[in-house]
Amino acid sequence: MDTVTLQIDGHTLTVPAGTTIWDAAASIGITIPALCHDPRMAPVGVCRLCAVDIGARTLVAACVRACEDDMEVHTSTEQVVDDRRTLLELLLADYPEDSRREAATGDDELLALARAHGIEAIPYPDGAIGQPRGEDHSSAVIAVDHQACILCDRCIRGCNALQHNDVLTRTGKGHTTRIAFDLDTPMGESTCVACGECAAVCPTGALTNRALAGLQLMTEEQS
Amino acid sequence: MKQLDAQASDETSRQRVATRAVDTLCPYCGVGCAVTYVADVDHNRIVHAIGRDGAANAGRLCVKGRYGHDYASHPQRLTRPLIRLQNAYPKGQLSPMEQRPGKPGGPVEHDAVLPHFREASWDEALQVVADRLLGIRESHGSDALAGFGSAKGSNEEAYLFQKLVRAVLGTNNVDHCTRLCHASSVAALLESMGSAAVTNVVRDVARADVAILTGCNPTENHPVAATFIKDAAAAGTRLIVINSRRPQIADYAALYLPIRPGTDVALYNAMLHVIIRDDLLDHAFIRERTEGFEAVAEAVREVTPAAAERICGVPAADIEQAARMLGEANAAMFFWGMGISQHTRGTDNARCLISLAMVTGNVGRPGTGLHPLRGQNNVQGASDAGLIPMVYPDYQRVDDPAVQERFERDWGVPLSPRPGLTVTEIISAARDGDVRGMYILGENPFISDPDVNKVREGLANLDFLVVQDIFLTETAEFADVILPASSFMEKAGSYTNTDRRVQLGAPVLQPPGEARQDWELICEIAQRMGYPMAYDSVADVFDEFAACTESYASLSHAALGLRGRWYPCSNPETSDGEPIVFGDAFPRGPAMLVATRFTPADEQPDGDFPLVLSTGRVLEHWHTGTMTRRSAALDTLAPDASVELNPTDARKLGISDGQQVRVTSRRGTITLMAELSEAVLPGTVFIPMHFREACANLLTNPAVDPWGKIPGFKFCAVRVEAAREAA
Repeated sequence: MDTVTLQIDGHTLTVPAGTTIWDAAASIGITIPALCHDPRMAPVGVCRLCAVDIGARTLVAACVRACEDDMEVHTSTEQVVDDRRTLLELLLADYPEDSRREAATGDDELLALARAHGIEAIPYPDGAIGQPRGEDHSSAVIAVDHQACILCDRCIRGCNALQHNDVLTRTGKGHTTRIAFDLDTPMGESTCVACGECAAVCPTGALTNRALAGLQLMTEEQS
Repeated sequence: MKQLDAQASDETSRQRVATRAVDTLCPYCGVGCAVTYVADVDHNRIVHAIGRDGAANAGRLCVKGRYGHDYASHPQRLTRPLIRLQNAYPKGQLSPMEQRPGKPGGPVEHDAVLPHFREASWDEALQVVADRLLGIRESHGSDALAGFGSAKGSNEEAYLFQKLVRAVLGTNNVDHCTRLCHASSVAALLESMGSAAVTNVVRDVARADVAILTGCNPTENHPVAATFIKDAAAAGTRLIVINSRRPQIADYAALYLPIRPGTDVALYNAMLHVIIRDDLLDHAFIRERTEGFEAVAEAVREVTPAAAERICGVPAADIEQAARMLGEANAAMFFWGMGISQHTRGTDNARCLISLAMVTGNVGRPGTGLHPLRGQNNVQGASDAGLIPMVYPDYQRVDDPAVQERFERDWGVPLSPRPGLTVTEIISAARDGDVRGMYILGENPFISDPDVNKVREGLANLDFLVVQDIFLTETAEFADVILPASSFMEKAGSYTNTDRRVQLGAPVLQPPGEARQDWELICEIAQRMGYPMAYDSVADVFDEFAACTESYASLSHAALGLRGRWYPCSNPETSDGEPIVFGDAFPRGPAMLVATRFTPADEQPDGDFPLVLSTGRVLEHWHTGTMTRRSAALDTLAPDASVELNPTDARKLGISDGQQVRVTSRRGTITLMAELSEAVLPGTVFIPMHFREACANLLTNPAVDPWGKIPGFKFCAVRVEAAREAA
């Protein structure tokens, strides 16, 4: 098998040719932050939070970029972290005050990353003011909050690539871009089979389990 | 500037819930998905399901596993033993079959039935059970008793239940719902290979060039397995889908063959004809691994595609193409479901599929195999554990003196050498007065068995019936004593999925009220009947079961761990078990190929009953609805029964979509909503089996397959007419 040898944060490692930087880093215990990537899915490189420094003109998305021989990857330089912080602030600029996921299961990945990066205030205007993206409560089991959607495409890949239900897609352009069901029908009237994969893979409060509304789950030790 | 508060949730309006996460399994279908349920500790209910990285599901779940867990906390759970009141005799059903105007549909009318019973202590209830069963054994003999176990119970419960019936009640009259689902497949596989388990796992379809999916609807009935089949199709596996009601997975098929109901043998024999005619055979495999090929070749000699087309309605050119795709594939896999097995010639249907696989050498290699998709979460394990009237655990025949001697030694009592009665035979015997006492654990034959009016007569005629269940089921309406049991969510035990993977379920909740563990109740009834049956734990029961079941011999609860193992498993320390079996030899030696000839279904349509009814399941519901109709999410998603009718037939009958119609067979009538659908062929209708208020099994034909003794749920003659609006 063809292999390539590279350095990540000073560690030298050899991986099969074609391995992404994200996977190579994961194999030696370095978790590169990502919101769109999930190891169960083909990477799409849309959230850019996994951007790392390989000494090239710009940062590269680790989830899609293949390792190369003699590559020197730095996953947490000041520039990389600054870049991430700016991306998080932009994503949070029009994020709802109250993430349904954070309130219920406490595992909103966007807010967790923001906290990890010490973000306390958003230096950008709230893009939601005057142009709310809306919600969809037509499904019996899943609540949709478009305002919390960061267009990471995880739900779309979960629906189409993992479950092959082929219901979820994107619609609109520019600011009006959002996820949609079938030909943009309400979720509850679409061909959705309610498998819940989209809500399971969603990293934010965009797709959540309706049954958890009003609950704040704590693990037993915390209570 | 917008501030980010990490704890931004509105604390005051939210209920803080202490939770505990438990790694266990989904309780529904045979796929056996691994799941983590997150339970609200204080309120003893599950709030949330997370897919776990199990061998069968890789983190994926379907709507039932993800949202159908709340049945366990339903307020109608049985919490105390119940004894029938004197004024509730003579026995009969206690809540109405049909939906009354203004009365919401649903399962048993709990409030109407409950007043016919009084609460009792465990001591009183168990003593009544033991005394009454002993009384019938003494006055009418052991064969006047019978038991139905359940494919929803664990391996340990199945083992103990059949042990109780055989060693304590003294009869082999013990069966369960495998009789209603894959009994014919099991008969054909045992006859051919000497084993009835699948030869390879679902996910092996990724390595198949061609997969035949016949008489199955995996996107609704095995949804997570379907995702892996669709994965394979996306990566190049060509699917050949055969069905009389177009399943959604046909959208992913290279070839879809719509077949007239009940004509499978003609189609497969024509495919065999083409494969032999064009010499697409695996001669070495036929020579070294099979016997009986000449008889099969002789039987299909005249069955040309053109001749088959006249019977099954599939164009001859499509039959030729399917046969060539199969014959030319390097690796082909066969999936089948109830559309094959639930026929009065179901065993012949399965024999044909076995022959197609064997003559093309498609068993025992990667991407090849025979996979009857198991329905219940533990139908494989319940069968392995001997919940079958002809066999002890591990399919050892009760009429083999050496086997009988071994179990008499192990269990310390004389055992009956007579094979027992099957599910439908037990119901007939109850009606005729030959079976007088029954113990039914976790089954609901009043809704699940064919010709419900006959079942009603049988159950009502019993001298004594004890029902052990989690809800007041339709069957419990006929009980003398009802014992409140534990749901899947409240017990430990092992379950064997459709892939032969033995996995552990773990308790997530506390049983409600005084409800008790099923395995303890079985033991206590045995003790009170004078037979010592005591174990320290479920793991000890497993060890006794494994000791008499070769394919489980190397396993134990400790060895199964969080991920389980496929059986056979030479050494669970080092091996995950065998995903593919019979690479070198079959248990019986050479595989037996059995010739079949097309025989029409038992009950043909005529002028009075011109349409063919097939029954089955819908995605959101499970069997008799006992669980899923008490799940808020599932019942909201699919609240009503409907009959699928082809628009061509609907036009002739003057019926429009959504209209109430009456469906009548030679045995009964039900009223439900018409749903026009191109998925069903003209001349056929489909009704789901879950709805008591439109009970499909009032219509079905109790005639059974001669070998598997399985009823032909997929074929009976009916008529459909517009219902008059209720006055």
